[in-house]
Amino acid sequence: MTAAEASVIPRTATIIAVSHLSADTALFSLRLEGERPHFSFVPGQFIQLSMPGGGEAPISLAAAPADDGTIELCVRRVGRITTMLHNSRSGDRVGIRGPFGNGFPLEEMTGRDILLIAGGLGMAPLRSLLHALLADRDRYGALTLMYGAREPAAILFREELVALARRTDVKLLLTVDFVREEQPAGLACNIGLLPALLAGIRFDPTSTSVAICGPPPLYGCTIGALVAAGCPEERIYLSLERRMKCGQGLCCHCAVGDLLCCTDGPVFRYGDIRNVPGAL
Amino acid sequence: MAKRFLFNALLPDFFEALHFFGELHAPVMTSDGVTAFRPALSLAEVRLDYRRTLIPPKKYLLPPRETTLDATPTEGYRLRTPADKEIILFGVHPCDLAGIDYLDRVFLSSSPDPWYARRRERFTLIGLSCEPDDFCFCGDIGDNHSAGFDIFLEQAEDGYHLLCGTDKGEAILASFKDLLHERRIPPPHKREKKLPPSCFATAREGEPLPATPMWDDFAQRCLSCGACSACCPTCYCFDVLEGGTLDGDRAERVRSWDNCLFRGHGEVAGGVNFRASRRERFQYRFRHKFHGFGPQRNTPACVGCGRCREACPVKIDLLDIVRQEGTHDSC
Repeated sequence: MTAAEASVIPRTATIIAVSHLSADTALFSLRLEGERPHFSFVPGQFIQLSMPGGGEAPISLAAAPADDGTIELCVRRVGRITTMLHNSRSGDRVGIRGPFGNGFPLEEMTGRDILLIAGGLGMAPLRSLLHALLADRDRYGALTLMYGAREPAAILFREELVALARRTDVKLLLTVDFVREEQPAGLACNIGLLPALLAGIRFDPTSTSVAICGPPPLYGCTIGALVAAGCPEERIYLSLERRMKCGQGLCCHCAVGDLLCCTDGPVFRYGDIRNVPGAL
Repeated sequence: MAKRFLFNALLPDFFEALHFFGELHAPVMTSDGVTAFRPALSLAEVRLDYRRTLIPPKKYLLPPRETTLDATPTEGYRLRTPADKEIILFGVHPCDLAGIDYLDRVFLSSSPDPWYARRRERFTLIGLSCEPDDFCFCGDIGDNHSAGFDIFLEQAEDGYHLLCGTDKGEAILASFKDLLHERRIPPPHKREKKLPPSCFATAREGEPLPATPMWDDFAQRCLSCGACSACCPTCYCFDVLEGGTLDGDRAERVRSWDNCLFRGHGEVAGGVNFRASRRERFQYRFRHKFHGFGPQRNTPACVGCGRCREACPVKIDLLDIVRQEGTHDSC
């Protein structure tokens, strides 16, 4: 098989574990079959998940692939493909192509304070970035994760957040839009939207790199505050969602201005797309 | 001097002999009154003086709908290889040659598309010179030379000068020695320019779309029918679909022509649509045509064939916007 063919033919992967994180979101562990199942990966990259008979959907990896070829996908049941995945169980086989896209520029972030802003399912790609930052903790300055969820029951990776909250080298700030139940034990949580949380923290904007991932409205309401605080536009990284059918810059559904989300993105510097109509 | 001139009287023999090299297709008049590239047995069927076909030759390299992968539970996904068929396309105008050249750059670049690449290898292009009409404007787009052909027939009064662009073309012409004569090939004639020279100069990095009330005017008239894109020789965007048998034993992945004027083109699961308005979709197509995406950034895709101007049922003409480029503030 040529390299070009390998990028268009999904490899078989088997679901080995499903862990439900909220009412509509689960973490799927998949093991790639065949020789050399491991692949190189940059946090923020995505794969194309194939459900045989259903089709493909782009999904960010929630963690770097393990040496044995195990990958983790954090998926919300929202459309046809993701519903098929949610209806699957351990032992079922799916297809994987990729990884695709650029991912977060870890080199550029080295030596700087890091602020991660995750909204809802945006926690999934930022989790892979967080893992990479923690694995090389010494290479970065102050590390802050701000994570907003709709309500306490929608907070993803709760146990990992509890562990994270105990660390002294990471600042964790959680918020939920509203509460209609008791807050989860062990997690201190604010009530309100991420911009309000952002307004309340102190950070040095000139030495901070910011990575944001979340639903489309999140970008508009956080970037303004960051830029006003003095964050350089080229140090604000956004992971964008678009309709990415092929992952290879061919099908032309995902352009952001003249950049293609699947090959030039999905991570963009704010400075590169701030003047592009419809980008944010 | 190489023998490269074909007298009119010998053209039928030349055409006949091309059948030896593959399945011969040419512009013919279909039973429903449309000029289309179709299999042609004899030159009598061929419309040598055709203006343009309704659908450009991209249909040979990117079929409107094709199965790309087969899947079974035991074997996973497997590539479905296109049929091993050599096609000779006769009578391709310079604009359509330029269209294929553009598609080659998109589909055969760093990671060649296996389906396109296989068809392209088995595709021979025999170009044919033409006379412009009111719709086309290729002189404003490219230089004055035809390119991207294996063989090109430049019409003269009593026959055709044969230009050769590839080894494949040379090999074919080598077998036609008995039909050809010696004659000096004249310099290529200049194609007529219809637009001010600055019109296509603005497709450069960071150039925003021109601000003009025309966007709103066009968006209001546009029917989202997609005709302009379907008939465009360089529109190639595709959707990827998949269906399987109910018992789950087999599945097929299909790619089919998509259309950026369609409402669902920018929609993702969950219902967010990144190009919900017709104006946004309209600008998306314009940006792709005249400014380019990704690796084709700053490369205008338009080849000036005039099809979209002729096909639009509400007379939207993208050239009206092109004429605004660089003359107004940006939007």
